[in-house]
Formats: sequence, structure tokens, C-alpha cells
Amino acid sequence: MLDNAHSLRAFLPELIVAGTVLAVLFVDLLARRPHVGRAAALTAVGLVAAGAATVMTMRADGYGLFFGLIARDPLADFFKLLFLATNLLVVLISLRAREATDESAAEFFALTLTTTAGMMLMASATDLLTAFLSLETVSIMSYVLAGFRRRSRESAEAALKYVIYGGVASGVMLYGMSLLYGLAGSTSFTAVRLACAHTPAAATVLLAVVLCLAGFGYKIASVPFHMWCPDVYQGAPTPVTAFLSVGPKAAGFALLVRFFGGSLPAELVGAPAPWPILLGLIAAATMTVGNLAALAQTNLKRLLAYSSIAHAGYVLLALCAGGSDGTRAILLYLVTYLFMNLGAFLVIIAVADAGIGEEIAEWRGLGRRAPWAAVAMAIFLFSLTGLPPLAGFFGKFYVFAALLARGGSLMVTLAVIGILNSAVSLYFYARVLKAMYFEAPTVDEPLPLARLHAATLALLAVPTVALFLVWSPLQRFVDSSLGQWYPAEMRPRSAQLDRSVKRSSVQLANTSATK
Amino acid sequence: MSAFNPGAFFFYLLAGVTVISAAGVALARNILYSAFALLGTLAGVAGLYLFLGADFLGVAQLLIYIGGILVLILFAVLLTNRIGEVRISNVSSGLIVGAPPAVAVMALCVRVALRTPWPLTEAVPAPTTARLGEAFLQELLLPFEFVSLVLLMALVGAMVIARRAAKEKGVR
Repeated sequence: MLDNAHSLRAFLPELIVAGTVLAVLFVDLLARRPHVGRAAALTAVGLVAAGAATVMTMRADGYGLFFGLIARDPLADFFKLLFLATNLLVVLISLRAREATDESAAEFFALTLTTTAGMMLMASATDLLTAFLSLETVSIMSYVLAGFRRRSRESAEAALKYVIYGGVASGVMLYGMSLLYGLAGSTSFTAVRLACAHTPAAATVLLAVVLCLAGFGYKIASVPFHMWCPDVYQGAPTPVTAFLSVGPKAAGFALLVRFFGGSLPAELVGAPAPWPILLGLIAAATMTVGNLAALAQTNLKRLLAYSSIAHAGYVLLALCAGGSDGTRAILLYLVTYLFMNLGAFLVIIAVADAGIGEEIAEWRGLGRRAPWAAVAMAIFLFSLTGLPPLAGFFGKFYVFAALLARGGSLMVTLAVIGILNSAVSLYFYARVLKAMYFEAPTVDEPLPLARLHAATLALLAVPTVALFLVWSPLQRFVDSSLGQWYPAEMRPRSAQLDRSVKRSSVQLANTSATK
Repeated sequence: MSAFNPGAFFFYLLAGVTVISAAGVALARNILYSAFALLGTLAGVAGLYLFLGADFLGVAQLLIYIGGILVLILFAVLLTNRIGEVRISNVSSGLIVGAPPAVAVMALCVRVALRTPWPLTEAVPAPTTARLGEAFLQELLLPFEFVSLVLLMALVGAMVIARRAAKEKGVR
């Protein structure tokens, strides 16, 4: 565990991202007129530099920074690289998207960068305080980004709904965190874990966890905190939707992995804790609601919104399986999801750039008018379904394998529900394909794609296919990211805290003895 | 019942003020009444902070929330056109469905609050400012600094949205 001055070296990636935020804003202030390319280039340079800094300061072991408020370990590094890559791709995606970067390009990129900084903090939080702070950072930035579209009622409505739901979710989560703090007398995950393991009040821990899940569940859009998702995804500018559907969702899962792995004990009052049942119920509901609601959608962004809810359900299955198998499945899934989901949204942007809207009906005959865009969309949608020979297949495969490896009737039931859901999802993804390939277009002229969009599409479609063929490097990387996390080993923040934990457990023992 | 305990009396008084005015904020039909009821809530919370020995936090709550934010809210309410006349079309919908779960959650929370053996520490009546200052420059430096970035970007974001609204109306 390092103090503030010594933590700075390991905190370099976040510092670079924060510095880039300021640089982008200041350069825009000094320049005479705003310029999309300049802001984007600065942002990209900052992101690449932060990625390089992450790789260069990587270590195979984990250690606490800033008196244990956050941790620097391979798991955090994995997520940091994932977020930086997501943001970089979103920069590419939004270059030509006028709805996002029309007037306030510098502010737009600065906001996405701040979101990334918040997500990086989320992935390394080992303290309730940093967990809440980073989650709020990501939320507040997302509210602004969702409302970024000019003169659009839907965009304003999306932002407002997002703010209101988000405020309620944060409040509920804070209440849960306050209960955990009340038990532990400290906000450190380790202290919370110790206190929860020793308290005789299982109901309190359970209530606190359910309340905390409101905040986390809101971030990953799991049932029953998913209601905001379709409206926000539809109303927000499409690059923002793409960003929100991948980045904050992955960050939410990073926090969930840390929360369940680092701050909750596996046993409560001597009995195994009911986390798998709790998570399993949420996962099953999330998958089913997401997939069934997607069946009825006619707007592509809404359809992908419900599909992203369903995907959060699949990843929750992996969280429910737990252990190193489950966490490996989560990481692998999130990588494949990054490519295929960003890709699907990019096709919508590229096609919208050429003048076709977001309704499925407008996509009729796209296979003939814009063959490459249609092929790319087909690849992304099949991959989202989880069909081989595409990366999405392995993503799902590892989730179900983790469930079956864990064994037990609950896990097997969940795997069956998951597989049935995948079958349902094929139906609505195939509807888009049917419109593109088997329905006659209203106009026949070909749709030219912008060169930038074509290149970015290739950049996303190639990994979606290639990851299936060359899977082992990714798996090796993910396995090395898991190395230190199991078994989790983090110490309380300071000696003083150690004492306070001991004191409170002694007090607990006394109070239960007097009863 | 034991003898009169002034500490407990003050606690329940402050808690009562806070909760009742919070209910007023949520239930008042007129948004102006809601804003005024917020005064009681915020002042009650400040009282609770002082009661628990957090002197700096209590004063900061008074200065910032009551002196700043509440006044700002009141200005916003008073200067906005026709905000009091907004017709809420679905006032009672969900009341019957929502009430039982709300009561159940409430009961659960109360039960948890009463039954849990909370580890207690004695409140030491001493100034907290020195300790707070140390914490902000020592073990809480990271959140303290990170919040400044968040607030800066929140301001920038608010400006982006407000500027557009102004431009649309032709105000520059």
C-alpha cells in the first residue's frame, strides 16, 4: 500500500487522461474557431499515451494506492485498457457524427475523457468512497452526453429520464453503503468484508447488498433498473449510445466483480451467502425481459438497447457462477461485446450518415444498396447472437462453461435459461437481416459509405471474426489479468483502521454475548 | 421507561423535524411549498451533524445547502413562469400498487435499524476541522482532487446544454 506521493507513478494513466481533458478544453479556448479534427486528435493522443502508460507501469502483483482507496492490479489494468480502447473507437465513430460533434466537439471529447477517467477509477476502487465517487462521475458525465443532441426533444427527454432514475438509484445505493459502513465502521472493502463475515445480523448485510445492487444494476441496466435504457439509448446521439452501451456497462461489471469478490464474504453467519441465488434471479430476469421486449421493437437503436439489457444478463450469469472461471468469462465476454456492439452502432451511424434512418423498415434492401455495411451488420448481429464462427460464440461459451463447471441445479437451470434466451435473440436479430437481404428496397440507388466509416467498420468487424480463429492470445491475456485477483489479498487502509476493525468485532462479540 | 434523556430527546426532535419536512417536500402539491419544506429538512440534517459532534460539517451544511443551494432553488422556482400551475395528469396512479411495497420496505429498514448490533463509538466533543484538513491532504487526497475534475466537467456540461437553449431563443 502506497501513500499519495508514491502512488503517482502507478496513477499515471489516470493523470494523463485528466490532463488530456484540460488540454482539449484549453486548446479549444485559445483557438479562434472550434475544430473537430483537432480536438479528436488531441483526445486520441491522450488515450494512446494513457494506454502506453498503463502497459509500461503494469505489474503482475496487486497493490493499494492512495492509502488503499484504489488498487493497481492486473484486473484493473485489463479494464483500463478496455475503457481506453472503447473511448478511442468512440472518437473514431463520432468524427463524422454531426449530432455529437457539430458545435461543441471539444466539450464532447472532454466529457467522454472524463467518463473514461471515472470508469478507470471504478475498475480500481477498493473503497466504498471511491466506488461511489467514480460511479457518480460516470453517471453525471453520461447525463450531459445523453442530452447532447441539438434541438431534439428526445435527447432532452433522455437526459432528464437518465438524471431522475440515476438520482434515485444513487440514493438507494448510498443507503445500502451507509448500512455497510455502519457495520464496519470503515469504508474500505476489506473492512466491510471482515465486518460482514463476523456480524450476526445477516438480514442487515442482505438488505445493504440489495440496496447497493440498485446503484450497480442501474449502471449495467439490469432488471429492475433497466427502464431508462431504451429511452436514453434512443434519444442520445448514436455515438454516445454506443459509448454508454459498452463503457459504463463494463465499468459497472468491474465494480461488481470487486464488490462481490473483495467486500462481501462467501459466508454469512456460518451459512453460505445467498449471492448466487440473488444474482441468478436478476440475471434470469434481465435476459428474459431484454430479449422478449426486443422482439417487438421497430427502431434499431431501441432494439439494440433491449439487446444490451439482455447481454448484461448473460454477463451477470458469469458473475453468478463466480470464482476465477466466472470472472474469466466476464472479461472475455466484455472484450467480444466491445467489438460487436460498437460495430452494430457504427453501422447505424454510417448508414444514417448516408441518409437512412433508424427504423428497421428503412433498412429494406440495404444488402443491395450498401453491401459492405450490410455484411458488417450481419457479422455483428450473428456475433451478438453467439453463433460460430464469430467471437460472440466464445463469449457465451465461456459463460455457460463457467456455470456448468460450478455445477448444482441452480447453475444448470440458469444455463438452460441463458441458452433459451440466445435462441429467442436470434429471432429479432434475424429480422434486421431479413429486412436487409430479403425485402425489396424502395429506392435502388447504391449508398456510398464515408471512407472513415468503412475503415472503422473493418477495424471492428475483423476482430469479431478473427478473435474466433485466434482466441488463445486474448485468453492468455485475460488469464494473466486474473492472476492476482484470486485469492483476493488486500489489506485495510491503515494500522488505525486495523484497530478499529478489531475493536468493532470485539464489541460485536460482547454485545452478542450479553444477549 | 428510564429517566428523561436530553440527548435522546434532542435526537428525536431533530430527526422528527427532518423526516416530517422531507415528507412535506415529497407530498406538497405546490412546488413552492416543497422548496420551503426543504428548509426544514436541510436544517434538521445540519442539526443532526452538530448533535453527532461534526461541527464543521454542520456549519458547512448550513452555509452551503441552506445559504446557497436552497436560495438558488427558491430563485429558480420563483423566477420560472407558471411553474406552480403545472397540471400533473397522473397524480394518484400507482398509489394503490405502490403503497404496500413501500410500507414493506419501510418496515424492513426499521427492523434492520433496530435489530442490528451496530458497533458503537463514543462521540468525542472536539473540533473536527484539524482532522478533516489532515484527511483531505492525506488519506482522502485522491477523492478530494478527483471531485474537482468532476465538478469542472459538470460545469462545462451544464454550460454546453444551457448555451444551446440560449442560442435557440436567440439570446447570446
